[in-house]
Amino acid sequence: MSSLTSPTQTDPSTSPTPTDPTATLVALSSLDFLLIELVPMAYRITQDLALRDEEWSSGSTQTARRDVEGSSSVSGIAVSGGSVSGTSTSLTSGGANTATGGLTATATATATVDEEEAREAVFHRLESLGYRVGLGIVERISRNTPRPTTPLDTIKFLCKDLWTLLFRKQIDNLKTNHRGIYVLTDNTFKPLTRMSFDTRRFPAAAADATTLLGGGDPNSLARVQPFLYFPAGLIRGCLASLGIQATVQAECTGLPGATFQIRTVGAKA
Amino acid sequence: MTGRVPSIACIGVIGKHNNPLHISLFPAEERAPLEFQFLLSSCLDIFEARLPHKPVDQDFGLLQAVDERLAMYGWLTNTGIKFIIVVDMEGRPATALDSKAATAVGLRDADLKPAFRALQTAYIMLLRNPFYNPDEHSPVTANSENRVGSTQITSRKFTQEVKRIADTWAPGVTTI
Repeated sequence: MSSLTSPTQTDPSTSPTPTDPTATLVALSSLDFLLIELVPMAYRITQDLALRDEEWSSGSTQTARRDVEGSSSVSGIAVSGGSVSGTSTSLTSGGANTATGGLTATATATATVDEEEAREAVFHRLESLGYRVGLGIVERISRNTPRPTTPLDTIKFLCKDLWTLLFRKQIDNLKTNHRGIYVLTDNTFKPLTRMSFDTRRFPAAAADATTLLGGGDPNSLARVQPFLYFPAGLIRGCLASLGIQATVQAECTGLPGATFQIRTVGAKA
Repeated sequence: MTGRVPSIACIGVIGKHNNPLHISLFPAEERAPLEFQFLLSSCLDIFEARLPHKPVDQDFGLLQAVDERLAMYGWLTNTGIKFIIVVDMEGRPATALDSKAATAVGLRDADLKPAFRALQTAYIMLLRNPFYNPDEHSPVTANSENRVGSTQITSRKFTQEVKRIADTWAPGVTTI
């Protein structure tokens, strides 16, 4: 259907050669599905991690006691990053760092993860996934484009090239205060176009799904929020790769529109 | 000197923060690593100086030639990755396959383009590997985490691809 190659490039000297191994064709819908499926997956993983953590920390109190006597199987517990204290503290911190990276920091804290914390962990997971994708994708699509010389150029590149590649359309509106803050508005943000609110009263059976995706009022816009974490991370990754350190905040004020606020480091409000 | 043709002596991949990501020497046993590190370092300022005059192209062409034999060519991606190829004008003996033109005339900038394109493809392929984290290879992250040791690329596939590019390239080769 569409490839990663921008269809406007017809010049044989700029378009990738047939031997370019990165020019593979993928069904366009797969990205849509992926963006939708990512969110429940992130929730599941966070939940699983929290459960496992609970198991580990309840189990580790016994094993830790055994360690004081034997101190042989320290490495096994170290990976858990749980509440092993005393003799094996140094090993615990070292093991947690290498095993599961920064994510444990958000996921471990308590055995019973409350909603706020779960939200944070999911946000962190999705955002960093998007960040990594952004880093890679920009390397690929910027290979035949002119070098952006100013930050505004870079943002425009994002609005046009990246958005066309990912969502088959350009950003609808770009506002800037010329001091490092950019607001991108997409009136029909593709991942949100399939979403709809139930106008009837929500059946009780669906309450589980509601709490899974952020809780609260089933018709609240907060339920959309998790689906914007990944695109926000993607933007941040792209900018970082092009040399702009920034924080990106995404929000939805009404389906299917989305706004992304980009605040570059050192920006003045 | 006749009977010898240009070949790639060294390929350097330099990161956004002017950190060496990868340096390969060809043939490795005959080249002094330190000497080529100096050569690569001496190119970085040339990139900086030429950057304002290069709004569109990623190819920086000939950066400098240090003596009769060694010449350095550069390429800067939009993401700030620098590729530097050091060409040894008398790198290897000519074989029957080499055309007369290749040995007689010097190199043109365009001769290096296929090699740079192949390098860039190799780097993109590296970034497509989900287990490669670019931030792990940045000195900024390494310093903030107090990590010691090299931040160079360790991917064997990438190293092999770089070696393949260096081996395949010769003046006049259009696809690598």
